[in-house]
Amino acid sequence: MVTIKDSLKLFGISIVICCAAFVCTLFINYRIDLVSAKDTISGKEAVKMYDAQLSTSTVVCIACGVCLVLTSVVMLVTYIKNFVDSRSKELGILKALGYSNLGIAKHFWVFGLSVFAGAAIGCAGGELYMDRFYEVQNKDGYFTFDRQFHPIVPVLMITLSTAAFMLLSVWFAYRRVRKPVMKLLREDAGAKVRKSKKDKAPLPFLKELRRDTVKGRYSLIFFVAFSSFCFSAMVQMSMSMKKLASETMGIMILVIGLILAFMMLLLALSAVVKGSAKTAAMMRIFGYDDSDTSKAILGGYRPVAWIGFVLGTVYQFVLLKVMVDVVFKDLEDIPEYNFDFKALCITLPLFIAAYEIIMYIYSSRVKRLTIKSVMLED
Amino acid sequence: MITVENITKSYGSGASENKVLKGISATINDGDYVVILGASGSGKSTFLNVVSGLEKADGGSVRYDGRDITKLSDKELTKFRKDNIGFIFQQYYLLPNMTVEKNVRMGADLSGSSNYREIIEAVGLGDKLKSYPSELSGGEQQRVSVARALAKNPKILFLDEPTGALDEETGRQVLDYIGKLHEKFGFTVIMITHNQNIAEMAKTVIRMNSGRIAEVYENEQQKTAYEIGW
Repeated sequence: MVTIKDSLKLFGISIVICCAAFVCTLFINYRIDLVSAKDTISGKEAVKMYDAQLSTSTVVCIACGVCLVLTSVVMLVTYIKNFVDSRSKELGILKALGYSNLGIAKHFWVFGLSVFAGAAIGCAGGELYMDRFYEVQNKDGYFTFDRQFHPIVPVLMITLSTAAFMLLSVWFAYRRVRKPVMKLLREDAGAKVRKSKKDKAPLPFLKELRRDTVKGRYSLIFFVAFSSFCFSAMVQMSMSMKKLASETMGIMILVIGLILAFMMLLLALSAVVKGSAKTAAMMRIFGYDDSDTSKAILGGYRPVAWIGFVLGTVYQFVLLKVMVDVVFKDLEDIPEYNFDFKALCITLPLFIAAYEIIMYIYSSRVKRLTIKSVMLED
Repeated sequence: MITVENITKSYGSGASENKVLKGISATINDGDYVVILGASGSGKSTFLNVVSGLEKADGGSVRYDGRDITKLSDKELTKFRKDNIGFIFQQYYLLPNMTVEKNVRMGADLSGSSNYREIIEAVGLGDKLKSYPSELSGGEQQRVSVARALAKNPKILFLDEPTGALDEETGRQVLDYIGKLHEKFGFTVIMITHNQNIAEMAKTVIRMNSGRIAEVYENEQQKTAYEIGW
C-alpha cells in the first residue's frame, strides 16, 4: 500500500529538514558551549558580544527551525492528501475488504523516514562544519572556549523530529481515509470543487482559467510565495552578511536559501502541471495554442511569486535592521545598516531570470501533455 | 470533403509491433453523418485520432479539401483544429471547477462566437448555466460537452463513443440533440461506436475490423435516436 519507495518522493521534505537540522545543530551546539563558558568571559566588549550572540543563536534556532519545520509539515500534509486522493479507489477496496482506518493509516509511518534521512544528514553536516563555524563566530577572539560534542543535540533532533513526523503522517492519513467506502471508491472522491462565492459575470475563458488554477489552492500559493520569499530574503541577506558578519555566513545563507527556493517552486509547479493535465490536453485538442495554454495554467502564480519577492525583501531588511540596531547595538565594530539597493538590483534580475527559466521548462511540460496520456491515466 | 488515403499506424516496434491501421482509405462528404462501427481493438479510435489530427499517421494522407494535414506542423495542426474541429469524448472531460457557462465558453472564445448561450439552451441546459459539472447527471454533462464543442462553430464534429458512459434514456437524449443540431447547423459528424443500433442514425457507415475497413454502406433512411434499438 505505502512503501519506502513512496517516501523517497518526499525528498523535498528531506532537504528542508536537512537545512533546519544543519542550522539548528550549529547554533544549539554553539549556544550550549557559549552558556557554559559564561563565567570565563570578561571585558565589556566580550560581555556585549556574548549577549548578542546568545540572542542571535536563540532567534536563529527559533526562526529557522520553526519556519522550516512548519514548511515541512505543510509539505507532508499536502503530499499525504494528494497520495490518498490519487489512490482513493485502492484504499476504498481495502476498506471494503475489511481493513480498518487505522490499519490502513498506520502504514503511512514510512513517510517519517524522509525526515529521518534529512535530519541525520543535516546533523552530520552540522557536526562536520562545526569547527569552521566556531572560528567564524569567534573571529574577533572574544571567547576562549573550545567546541564540545553534545550527542544529545543530534540524538534528540533526529529521534524527536522523526517520531513527530511519523505520528503526524499516521494521524493525517487516518483523517483522510476516514470516509465512507463508496465515497473513496468513486473516482472523484478526492476532487473538491472550488465554487465561486459570488455570481459574477463570466470572464473570457483564459482569464477565468488563470484565476481558477490559483483559486483555493492555498498550499500551492504558499509554496510559490515562500519560494520567492526565500530567494529574495536569503540572497539579499547573504550579500549584506559579507559586510555585517562574514563571507562564510553569507554563503551558508545563500546556499540554504537557493535550495529552499528552487525546491519549493519545483514542487509547486509540478503539482500545478499534474493537476491541470486534463485541462491542458483538452485545450490543445480544441485548438488553444501552447502559449495560451501555458499562460493560463502557470501565469496565475506569477503575481504570487512577486508578492513573495517583495515580502522577502522587506523581511530581510527589517530582520537585519533589528539585529544591527537592537541586538548588536552596543558593539563598536558593527557597521551601520541601511537598505542595500545594490543587493536588490542584483537579486531582482536573478529572480526574474530564474523564475522565467523554470516557467519555460514547465511550459514545455504542459506542451507535452496529450489527451492520450490523460485517457491512459483514466 | 475529407479524403483519407492508405493510412497506416503502428504502436511499438520489432516483435512487439502492433499494426493498428493497415492501409485505410475513405471519403467523407461535407455535412455527412458518418458512424465508424467496430468492436474493441478494431482500430476505430486510432482512425478517429488520425483523421482529426490528434495523432500522426505512419503513412498515407488525410486531406481536407485537398490540404494534407499529415504534413502540418504541431502549430499548424493546432490552428487547423481551432478553425475546423469539435470533439466530444466518452468521459466528457469538463473542467470541474467551472460552471456550465464557463465550460462552454472554452469553445466559444476560440471562435469569438457570442451565441454560446443559445447553444446551451439548444441542448436543454438553459436553467443550468451556473451549475457545476458535479451537480449534473451524466447525460447533462455530456450535453455540456456537446455545447462546448458546438460553441466553436466547428465544420466537423468528432465523437468518441459519446453514449458509452450513459444509460439508454440519457444516451438517446444526447444522440437526439446531436442529430437535431446536425440538421440545424449542417456540420459533418464523425462518430465512433461499437453499438450497431446507433449506426442506423448515420447516413454513411464505415465498419472496421482488425485495422481495415470491412464495409462501407449508406443507410437508405436515417433513423432518429428514438427510433433505433439499444
